[in-house]
Amino acid sequence: MKIFRKSAKTEAEEKPAKPSVLTSEKMQSIGLNAWFGEKQALKDINLSVKANSVTAIIGPSGCGKSTMIRCFNRMHELVPDARMSGNVLLDGEDIYARDMDPVLVRRRVGMVFQKPNPFPTMSIYDNVAAGLRLTGIKKGKNLDEVVKRSLKQATLWDEVKDDLKKSGTSISGGQQQRLCIARAIALQPEVILMDEPCSALDPIATAKIEELIVSLKRDYTVVIVTHNMQQAARVSDFTAFLYLGQLVEYNDTDAVFENPKNELTEKYITGKFG
Amino acid sequence: MTRLLDVGLEQLTVMVYKSGEVAENAIGVSIRGFMNGKDATEAVHELSDILGSMTVDIENKAFELIAKYQPVASDLRIINSYMKIAYDFERYGRYAWDISFIQQKLANIDKCAVSSKLMQELIEKVSEMVSKSVAALKQHDAELAKSLADTEKEVDELYFSYLNQLSKARSQNKCGMCNLLVSRYLERIADHTTYVGEAIVYIATGEKISLR
Repeated sequence: MKIFRKSAKTEAEEKPAKPSVLTSEKMQSIGLNAWFGEKQALKDINLSVKANSVTAIIGPSGCGKSTMIRCFNRMHELVPDARMSGNVLLDGEDIYARDMDPVLVRRRVGMVFQKPNPFPTMSIYDNVAAGLRLTGIKKGKNLDEVVKRSLKQATLWDEVKDDLKKSGTSISGGQQQRLCIARAIALQPEVILMDEPCSALDPIATAKIEELIVSLKRDYTVVIVTHNMQQAARVSDFTAFLYLGQLVEYNDTDAVFENPKNELTEKYITGKFG
Repeated sequence: MTRLLDVGLEQLTVMVYKSGEVAENAIGVSIRGFMNGKDATEAVHELSDILGSMTVDIENKAFELIAKYQPVASDLRIINSYMKIAYDFERYGRYAWDISFIQQKLANIDKCAVSSKLMQELIEKVSEMVSKSVAALKQHDAELAKSLADTEKEVDELYFSYLNQLSKARSQNKCGMCNLLVSRYLERIADHTTYVGEAIVYIATGEKISLR
């Protein structure tokens, strides 16, 4: 017999109205290929990164995850013998266009690396201020404000506000990684790329970074490479699965982890290979 | 290489299949008692209790696997669905017990069922659905599970026809009251077989469908 079983969700919750800003494409790769010498690392990748979202890139070692995000801010070209073809668009503009300044691209698309890498000879304050100084903001109230705001956004301010002159390497690994995120935020990028940002951290520090990643999408677009599938499931809105340099599946994270469409994805995320 | 999760999933699967067998048996014992005018309360009560314990064991095992392995995709769908199915099997047992109990209390173990052709048809259909739900589970057969929807409609029609027939009776005796309640229990068992069917479809295809 049919019985009325009302969902706990209201209709509005089931069909959330998404403002266009949430659904617009911030970055897009079109037919992206990348090589290291003769070895092709990426093969014809077509992927759209939505603005103000967290997109996770997962896949086994050597599948091209890191290469892909390095193509997103023109760091791939810094590797000797590396080359790429195809297009990467940022707000519809090709970041590899002849007149596009790679330094400006890297300012708009920041990167946080696997291992926390604060500048070892600089204080906590100077680590955050370093990039700003390069852009011409040398000192004063404005610099202080940006450093404070960046450390607050990176949820580190309360822990270091009395030790700003201490070395950037004197704090814990998790704090150092948040310091690196603050350093990236200080330049007010539009996109933050994170290459396995928690792989060197303990579970507590990892949880703090994950909370931070989720909060960052209010103001930024985040792309994270991770080996930790539970982390991808926890923090991301969209998940891309790469295998042997090819994009196998790209979908809402919930769909990928509940009912993946591709058998390879299913096998990888359930630990049957990789 | 066998995943550690696979060992746990195999144990969970055995537990759920066993629960299905016990549930099917509980309904069989109860219905045979009802049809033949024999008191099955003691046997069915015991089976119903066993099913309750099995549901707790299945939930505990499922939680253990979730906590230890953080399963995703088909692994997670199986664990989630097995918990739901275990609950439905527990309900089969509970309704089986209700049938035997009400027959004992109201009808003094008379052969009430034989007085109505509709009731006999209802019993036949529901028994078929119970067997089908357990078989579909063991084979993870989505098509067999989906076929429960058609039989469930037939059960609904039989149930309402039977209610209509009872409502037209000039007076109700204890057998009439007993049959009224038993028909309701049977109709609810049929509903639960469709819930089991929905869970099987979800396991096999990832689709969330309604079979009612």
